[in-house]
Amino acid sequence: MDATFTKTRHPAVVAEALTKVYGEGDARVHALREVDVSFGTGAFTAIMGPSGSGKSTLMHCLAGLDTATSGTVRVGEVELTGLSDKRLTLLRRERIGFVFQAFNLLPTLSAEENILLPLRIADRRPDQVLYDRVIDTVGLRDRLGHRPAELSGGQQQRVAVARALISKPQVIFADEPTGNLDSRSGAEVLSFLRTSVRELGQTIVMVTHDPMAASYADRVVFLRDGRLVDELPAPTPQTVLDTLMKLEA
Amino acid sequence: MLRTALAGLRAHRLRLLLTSLAIMLGVAFIAGTFVLNDTIQAGFAERVTADAEKVAVAVLPEGPGERIGPEVLERVRAVPGVREAVGLVRGSAPLLGQDGKAVGGMPTTAVSIVPGALDRTTIVSGTGPGSDDHAAVLDENTAEAAGFQVGDTIRVLDSRGREHVFRLVGLLDPGLDQELAYTGAVGFTTATAQRMTGAEDFAEIDVAGDDPAALKPAVAAAAGAGHEVLTGEELAADLARQAGLEMRTLTVGLLMFGLVAMLVAALVIYNTFGILVAQRTREMALLRCIGATRGQVFGSVLIESAVVAVVASVTGLAAGYGLGALTLAVLGALDAPLPTEAALALSPETIAVGLGVGLAVTVGAAVLPARTATRVAPVAALRTQVEERTFRAGVPRVVFAALFLLAGLGAGGAGALVLPPGEQSSLFVVMAGGVLTFLGVLILGPVLVRPLSAVLGWVPAKLFGVPGRLAVDNSGRNPKRAATTTVALTIGVTLMTLISVVTASTRATVTDKLDEQFPVDYALMTQGREGGIPRSVGEELKDRPEFAAVLRVRDTAATVRGVRVRVGTYEGPISPKLVSGALPELAAGQVAVAAHAARDLRVGVGDTVRVGPGSGAVPLEVVAVVDDEAPLPTLALAPGQFAELFGDVQDSRVLIDIADDVAPERARAVVEAATAAHPTVQVQSSTEVREEFDQTLDMLLMIVTGLLGLSILISLLGIANTLSLSVHERARESALLRALGLTRAQLRRMLSVEALVFGLIGAVVGVALGLVFGWAAMRAMLEGAVFTASPWQIGLFVLLSGVAGMVAAVLPGRRAARASIVGSLAG
Ligand SMILES: Nc1ncnc2c1ncn2[C@@H]1O[C@H](COP(=O)(O)OP(=O)(O)O)[C@@H](O)[C@H]1O
Ligand SMILES: [Mg+2]
Repeated sequence: MDATFTKTRHPAVVAEALTKVYGEGDARVHALREVDVSFGTGAFTAIMGPSGSGKSTLMHCLAGLDTATSGTVRVGEVELTGLSDKRLTLLRRERIGFVFQAFNLLPTLSAEENILLPLRIADRRPDQVLYDRVIDTVGLRDRLGHRPAELSGGQQQRVAVARALISKPQVIFADEPTGNLDSRSGAEVLSFLRTSVRELGQTIVMVTHDPMAASYADRVVFLRDGRLVDELPAPTPQTVLDTLMKLEA
Repeated sequence: MLRTALAGLRAHRLRLLLTSLAIMLGVAFIAGTFVLNDTIQAGFAERVTADAEKVAVAVLPEGPGERIGPEVLERVRAVPGVREAVGLVRGSAPLLGQDGKAVGGMPTTAVSIVPGALDRTTIVSGTGPGSDDHAAVLDENTAEAAGFQVGDTIRVLDSRGREHVFRLVGLLDPGLDQELAYTGAVGFTTATAQRMTGAEDFAEIDVAGDDPAALKPAVAAAAGAGHEVLTGEELAADLARQAGLEMRTLTVGLLMFGLVAMLVAALVIYNTFGILVAQRTREMALLRCIGATRGQVFGSVLIESAVVAVVASVTGLAAGYGLGALTLAVLGALDAPLPTEAALALSPETIAVGLGVGLAVTVGAAVLPARTATRVAPVAALRTQVEERTFRAGVPRVVFAALFLLAGLGAGGAGALVLPPGEQSSLFVVMAGGVLTFLGVLILGPVLVRPLSAVLGWVPAKLFGVPGRLAVDNSGRNPKRAATTTVALTIGVTLMTLISVVTASTRATVTDKLDEQFPVDYALMTQGREGGIPRSVGEELKDRPEFAAVLRVRDTAATVRGVRVRVGTYEGPISPKLVSGALPELAAGQVAVAAHAARDLRVGVGDTVRVGPGSGAVPLEVVAVVDDEAPLPTLALAPGQFAELFGDVQDSRVLIDIADDVAPERARAVVEAATAAHPTVQVQSSTEVREEFDQTLDMLLMIVTGLLGLSILISLLGIANTLSLSVHERARESALLRALGLTRAQLRRMLSVEALVFGLIGAVVGVALGLVFGWAAMRAMLEGAVFTASPWQIGLFVLLSGVAGMVAAVLPGRRAARASIVGSLAG
């Protein structure tokens, strides 16, 4: 299966020959094998694949949370390979936003404080216009003073999305952001993600195993056994499902 | 269940390490104290046994200070089976230094050195006096202090103050004789010793013979009633016990510090197991799901604590043994007057106490957490996330705390303000109040933590940006845990502050009272107690223009209302601080009584007491009760009446205040000239006295602080422990922060600030308690105490506590910073 992959124009994130090996000797696991992939600026891309195919590993390497065994990653014009932990941290702080599947928020802080946390860490002032727009988009204005424990799962994920948007990162990585949510809350979160791409020009890379979730994206790339095996522009739930079936076969 | 407990131990090895260290330190200190005591006591026994073997039987006077007449020696000598019997002479004979003044604060003690088999003195260089009546020996310390060497000529005063010249032929080691070690010793032949002390009788008669058991009754019969007769062995045991008394007191004192340390360790252990149980809620619930009973869950936690206890206590014992050895080595190197040469003793009692205390404290402290573990519902195993338990200050907690605080502060207040100062019972009430208040604070701790961390964290939060703010939030997040962690530190800081306040206040009180009542520049004193300053000295000085005021005080022992007191008189301008009554000038028929004596004699102003020698007592009216610190006799009479009743008594002290415009050197020269002819009169300048007093207090403060350091160290281990357990608990949170751009350094700083806040809370509460109860203790101990605290010392305690807290955060911080983000996020 030699699929030819789109060379994205103005890529926000580019990976070349990305390989990640866990463990040693007999216990060696190739989580990623020579993956070449790029993600366009202002695009919403989904990464799909069966469980254990390397989706999370790919995301962690792209986001500078983990270092690859070999290959290169560029975020914007910055080459991640060989950066010190401190530089990687500053890069994440300045250019990358995150939404995780669970445990996105600090329990001691209010929703508002959680949203502003990345800015405070970076010692930056919030852009008031953007702040208002983000808060209104995710519809949390009346919940800002609440602690995470007082919010529903959907509300918590919306706070997490707002937090990712507020620092205007070059790219937001989302790992199964709807994995813990019921379908209605999930749909809400996904539409916020899509709105932020359309209206704020945000770049988003989302890992998911849900075809419904993937259909919100502009493009879906498929992983299997640590290799990039297929991609789908303008996906619908049906076309995503078909491609997955084809891969499983 | 044993297997699960052991598996739990293995899994939490690192987390239990700090706890073990806390127990280990406590056990090591206690065991070390015992080892030290046992070894030194054994050393005492060894030393005296060798000496006492020379003696078959010894005759001693029945009461202290009594003597044995020479006729007794004659009778003992006549007992069949007595090979030899000698009388030992002992009495004051002041050695004069190179400057012609008597050496030391006490007159040196003259002893007779007998020739032959019964000689028990240890001559360390030169020889004994033998039969040379013009030879003398000195103890090493006195010779060194006075700058004499073997071969020098020394001068010694006899009982009538006449000077005699001797050749120093040797130096002796006073051994275990506490009196000789304290006063210094000068040894003569028996005849010379009798001549010098002016006494024909003996302090002890030693007998040589073959069968001590048979000799003892015969010698006792010959000596007659009023004498104590011991075999050599009994004498040795007696001497060793007496020599060891101080060591035993010291041991009890040290054990108090050991107990405080163990109390702190108990808090640390309680906290650790509490946190471990909380973290393993799901594990416990799973055990319950698969059929473990509550009892089994309870048992598994206790077994875990018992294993920790045994391992830590055994290590502690070994460390204590090492500590004992080290202390002995240091004492030996410092030439301390203690036997350090005996074989290091690790007695079965020490082992039992060490293991017992370690086990009891550890398992005891784990009981409550173990009980909490049994309350975990089996369904908790099914919950995905362990929710953070929010703490609410329950009504019972507040009520209990309020009761304890009320009782504690009430007792403290009563002891300080209501009960009579200077009585032991007052101090005891204050101490009990302190303990109750501390318990109140312990109960109320979780309620106090949040407001305190908000207040004390305000500056750090502003100073350290995001990590600072998060840290301050975190410090108040688990109030129970934070309270136990900080209270452990509070104990040490409270006691340190207390000691600091008490020493500073004592210093201020004494100085203050002296200055207020009689601004002394010089004091003339004599060695020993009875009189000794010829009246002519004071009379000569009192009219000298160099002095603004001269106060002459003389007194003598007398029995009043069945109580032994000092009765005396004074001449010179003084307005002593009065507790009650008035003291213009004493007239015949009047008496002024010191406060403590007024209590002992149960008299007050207006009462009448009979004062006088034996049958010649006359009734006197109490006109004033005088502050204890006033430099007056305990019972002061008018000079004329005192002379009538007690005859001509020499001055016991002369206090001198220099006139304002006179140079100290000139005044000193006048004083020296007036006393030059009287070698036993000593001139002390008040600055010297104060310096000495200050040094003593500083030394005390240093030693106590050092000993409390152990408790502080253990509480710091507690802070490190709580933090590392929290680090483990908040691994995902830290990973999230790192993902969002918090650098490793910032994460470390976050933990340091959290520890800083812990340290500050513990220290501030401790300082507050220490100040309050230091004040109360001062009021209870001393009449009219002046309360002062050294702000820099107390500031230093707070600062050091904060810094030490931050040091405690170093290792947990490193572990937190090293954790992989991806790994922690998945967890
Ligand atoms: N820390 C790790 N150590 C060893 N193997 C790992 C580790 N993380 C992931 N893997 C392995 O790498 C492969 C890819 O994992 P992952 O990226 O989590 O897949 P996905 O997110 O697609 O389910 C899997 O086979 C997984 O077992
Ligand atoms: Mg995954």
